[in-house]
Amino acid sequence: MNPLELTLGIMTAVGGFVDISELVFAAKAGSTFGYALIWVFAFSTVGIIVFSEMSGRVAAIAKQPVFNLMRHRLGLKLGLVTLLASIISNLVTCAAEIGGVSLIMNYLTGAPYLVMAVVLTLLIILSIWVLPFKWIERIYGLLGLFMIVFAAALVGIHPPWAKIAAGFVPQVPHGLSTKELMTFGYFCVAIVSAVLFPYEVYFYSSGGIEEEWGPKDLLTNRITSILGMGLGSLLAISILANSAQLFGPANISPEIPGSAALEAAIPFGKWGLILALLGMLFAVAGAAVETCMANAYSIAQFFGWKWGRHKKPWDAPRFTVTWIALFVAALLVVLTGINVMTLVELAILFSILVLPLTYLPLLLLAGDRQYMREHVNGRLAKGLGWVYFAVITVAALSAIPLYLLTSGGNG
Amino acid sequence: MKPDGPMKLVADLLDLPLIDSEGCYCGIVDDVEFSGSKELKLKALLVGAGAYSGRMPRWLYRILTKVAGDRVTRVPMNRIRSIASAVTLDCPGSELGLQRSEKTAAKWIPKWGAM
Repeated sequence: MNPLELTLGIMTAVGGFVDISELVFAAKAGSTFGYALIWVFAFSTVGIIVFSEMSGRVAAIAKQPVFNLMRHRLGLKLGLVTLLASIISNLVTCAAEIGGVSLIMNYLTGAPYLVMAVVLTLLIILSIWVLPFKWIERIYGLLGLFMIVFAAALVGIHPPWAKIAAGFVPQVPHGLSTKELMTFGYFCVAIVSAVLFPYEVYFYSSGGIEEEWGPKDLLTNRITSILGMGLGSLLAISILANSAQLFGPANISPEIPGSAALEAAIPFGKWGLILALLGMLFAVAGAAVETCMANAYSIAQFFGWKWGRHKKPWDAPRFTVTWIALFVAALLVVLTGINVMTLVELAILFSILVLPLTYLPLLLLAGDRQYMREHVNGRLAKGLGWVYFAVITVAALSAIPLYLLTSGGNG
Repeated sequence: MKPDGPMKLVADLLDLPLIDSEGCYCGIVDDVEFSGSKELKLKALLVGAGAYSGRMPRWLYRILTKVAGDRVTRVPMNRIRSIASAVTLDCPGSELGLQRSEKTAAKWIPKWGAM
């Protein structure tokens, strides 16, 4: 295990953890329910750690990415349903990320939002074309670390640490009306969906194959999953806690992604704001790359095409055409003028519906001794895996009713 | 599992990815072809959307083949080196006609600029 590689891997995971949905829902959750939803972030983070570690282990041992094995496990028909659902979910999520990144550039430069969407999509496509896989991951992930300014801002505003610590204990706030309870339920579902986005495991496991992981990389996989996701989650929790401290008491509801950046401006002024916006810009752009590539990986793996950014673009032509076409499709969605917040809500909704279909085959594969030999799921991974599968299934079943009953969490 | 060994279920083989002798993915086992009447033996693997016909409703098959074409490529069993979490071939996929769509797509891709 190379310590430098490991550190860079962890830092990349931290910087790449937060995406537009987490930004939006962390800020809204804090302003609406104070610290009461911190435990949902913590609980979901353990879930994404469990499934990321599992998908990395499957990649390292079975030497096949999740979507290849998923089709073999689920069969052609159910596999196609899963593929179609994940394409729609990832496409909407990618459009939300492109919309988010364009909005952030609009805040930074004042340039028109839709023009920024076109320019930034082209720049992202160019960066994927030109840069090797590791650089793509690292540039977006490491520059996303500017978001540490949110954690520093939290320390800077001297929050009530005891209340934040109490937020880690599972709870439902007292005295909520039925409508507020449903809104709380919707926020729980949305946070589970935002943290456990399916694209994350597709991208992570495909990355493991790209980097030719083997049994010797299992420890690196475990440490990167636990520390990278765990520390990344602390950034999201910092955004929530800042919002609870600054926006909640003033009855401010952060309705646009840029509101979160103000959390850093209050203690640190102009430079806090700029650092927060830059961190958000790279973290959200990185998420756009991940969602689009995860989509292209899924399609290529499902149909057995050559794939991967470890190859030159012209060495995996169908894969290359696919990811470029998916970026263009996501851009076209943004160019319809649809509101970014609507896209974020749709991304959350579509993703939670796909989650059970994503994680069930992964659980089955990681528990299959034929593929995994002595690295098959142990009791802890198996137990946690099934608990989280039950939770995401309940969340998926309740997502649409809660969305409709609460008007997307707006009460 | 060996290519000429007994197999409990064809399902062991269906939907596995194919990797050629150069380590490139070159399709998925979409169906299988048998020979013999009393004792069935696997004769070939079938690759391509055209091989989906017996595996999905007719209306879905029609839509899929409209999008992906109805070509089927046969991979004789004697070209298979091993079967595990993927089926490994003993020759380049292009020798068996498995890379035609990749070559078509390659015409659209400029060959410059990537590090």
